[in-house]
Amino acid sequence: MANKKTVDLVEEKAALMRRDVIEMGYAAGGRGAHFGPALSSIEIVAGLFFGIMNHDPKNPTMADRDRFVQSKGHACLAYYAALTETGYITREQMYTFKGDNSFLAGHPTRNMKYGIEVTSGSLGNGFAVACGMAKAAKIKSDDHKVYCLVGDGECNEGIIWEAAMNAAKYELDNLIAIVDRNGVQLAGTTKDIMDVDIEALWRAAGWDVVVVEGGNDASSVLEALQGMRDSSSGKPHVIIANTTKGKGISFMEGSLGWHARPMPQEFYEQAVAELENA
Amino acid sequence: MTARGVDMRKAPTDRLQEWSKKGHRTVQGDTLVMLAADYPDMVVISADLTPTARLTDFRETYPDRFFDVGIAEQNLIDFTVGLALEGLRPFAVGLAGIVPMRPAEQMRAALGYMNANATVIGIEAGVRFGPLGNTHYAMDDIAVVRAIPNFTVICPSDPLSTHKALYACAEHEGPVYVRLTGGPGYPVMYPEDFDFQIGRAIEYRPGSDVAFVSSGSLLADAVGAADILEGKGISARVVDMHTVKPLDTEMLDRVFAENKLVVTVEEHSSIGGLGGAVAEYKAGFADAPKQLIASLGDKFQKLGDHTFLMKLNGLTAPDLAALAEANV
Ligand SMILES: Cc1ncc(C[n+]2csc(CCOP(=O)(O)OP(=O)(O)O)c2C)c(N)n1
Repeated sequence: MANKKTVDLVEEKAALMRRDVIEMGYAAGGRGAHFGPALSSIEIVAGLFFGIMNHDPKNPTMADRDRFVQSKGHACLAYYAALTETGYITREQMYTFKGDNSFLAGHPTRNMKYGIEVTSGSLGNGFAVACGMAKAAKIKSDDHKVYCLVGDGECNEGIIWEAAMNAAKYELDNLIAIVDRNGVQLAGTTKDIMDVDIEALWRAAGWDVVVVEGGNDASSVLEALQGMRDSSSGKPHVIIANTTKGKGISFMEGSLGWHARPMPQEFYEQAVAELENA
Repeated sequence: MTARGVDMRKAPTDRLQEWSKKGHRTVQGDTLVMLAADYPDMVVISADLTPTARLTDFRETYPDRFFDVGIAEQNLIDFTVGLALEGLRPFAVGLAGIVPMRPAEQMRAALGYMNANATVIGIEAGVRFGPLGNTHYAMDDIAVVRAIPNFTVICPSDPLSTHKALYACAEHEGPVYVRLTGGPGYPVMYPEDFDFQIGRAIEYRPGSDVAFVSSGSLLADAVGAADILEGKGISARVVDMHTVKPLDTEMLDRVFAENKLVVTVEEHSSIGGLGGAVAEYKAGFADAPKQLIASLGDKFQKLGDHTFLMKLNGLTAPDLAALAEANV
């Protein structure tokens, strides 16, 4: 069981991060933002940054820090919200999201000064890079872990499976992938676009697989993450987290329309009201 | 009629303002629906991009002729080639920033090498995706595809030429890459029906001092630059080199013989795009005029919206005019 204090902290931070996502996305105006993809992954990212990872916002290049790679880079708002709430970036910097000359692009862009470990946005690549980072830790006998957030649609990409097989071959049990299984991708539901049993695929590739029913429940997510973190089975680990796209905002939940778009004022007001009454 | 009740067969010229307001994605999406009516073998393949690429109408109108391979761009190309080899006429649609690069090897080994009759459409080319950042910019797509033998590369400059280019692709033998630039509200350069032929550049306006040779939606800015120069007594020719491969060398021969300065204009890296193609051809001339390459340079871009990035890279009409004036 995850420790109650940690669960409370992650829940509290998750609520703040949801608000940050809405604020950044609204401030981006006509440039729009990927709301749904960020909101489904909030508990996972908050769980990592506030309950699981060894890291220090004052020292982003600390040698033994755990690494976080957000392979589903379009959900960067969740990442930027975590960087804000942990103190890697200021609130002022947060509001530059997608602005001219900002370092907070619509996809994470490597910037070690502010804790952005790996550039992503071209789906699939972040995960394969994370596998290389995990192998590097093994080569150097470093103890840190590598955590990687992957989309369920992203699992359509061949590179995911090339990398997954390779990670199993090299017994990267210091690598923990989390699949944000929100069931919706860009053009349709995951069932419509590519209906596959990803659990079986990850298993067949040689990974330790755990399915978390409550992917938006802090306690369940923390428990799964801890279990995988503390296991040295000789296999890489994947947590398949069942989540809801757009979690927390009624009109975004499960919606294709809120994958990426601008947020008009009336929607913003409703979203804020819902978060405040949650 | 489509599922949405829009008459897709309406004359393209009637739709120009509407198309230009909605940008090139809509133009290509609508045109694919029109093409399907004329070409029963025509099919569309996409990689989890239907709404982004404005393919929803196509999917609804021709559900049996639309295929989504999932987020799998390498498969997008090879699957397309398989369809083409068996006599279908496939159009594969993807993001210009991802599709020619991620499956570059499939584009070469399957599509190019087997000389398959298929068209690959790259939407949002150049830095159109502004705030999404460099993973979503297409600054190297012309360079990559142009280097593959058998490929034809087309960069239409406006809605009607995009429409006509896609019709030309349906008749073309061999692989084509169509690179689409021009966001919502992009200028209508060809308001009337006109003759569009693959490989045949269009002299958009005559001029004797400078020649702007442009590709894609920057044609409008090149014309704007020519207007500015005219006010200063400098005569500027503007050429719409909509086909970057094969180049219209007859048109270039005239430009080299008649103009004092060539400025190639493109929303692409300074390496391997239209500028590179023109320079390669020009290398065979002992006394051709000087050439300047107006482009995105050889760098990853700063983050910003499209207008910001165009200014930063000197690709607005006043920038192009100043560049030409300083060098002519
Ligand atoms: C290689 C690549 N192909 C296509 C895209 C366009 N794209 C961005 S997000 C997305 C859907 C992602 O779905 P999923 O992985 O399920 O993440 P979710 O949005 O559901 O969180 C697509 C196709 C991309 N960014 N990269």
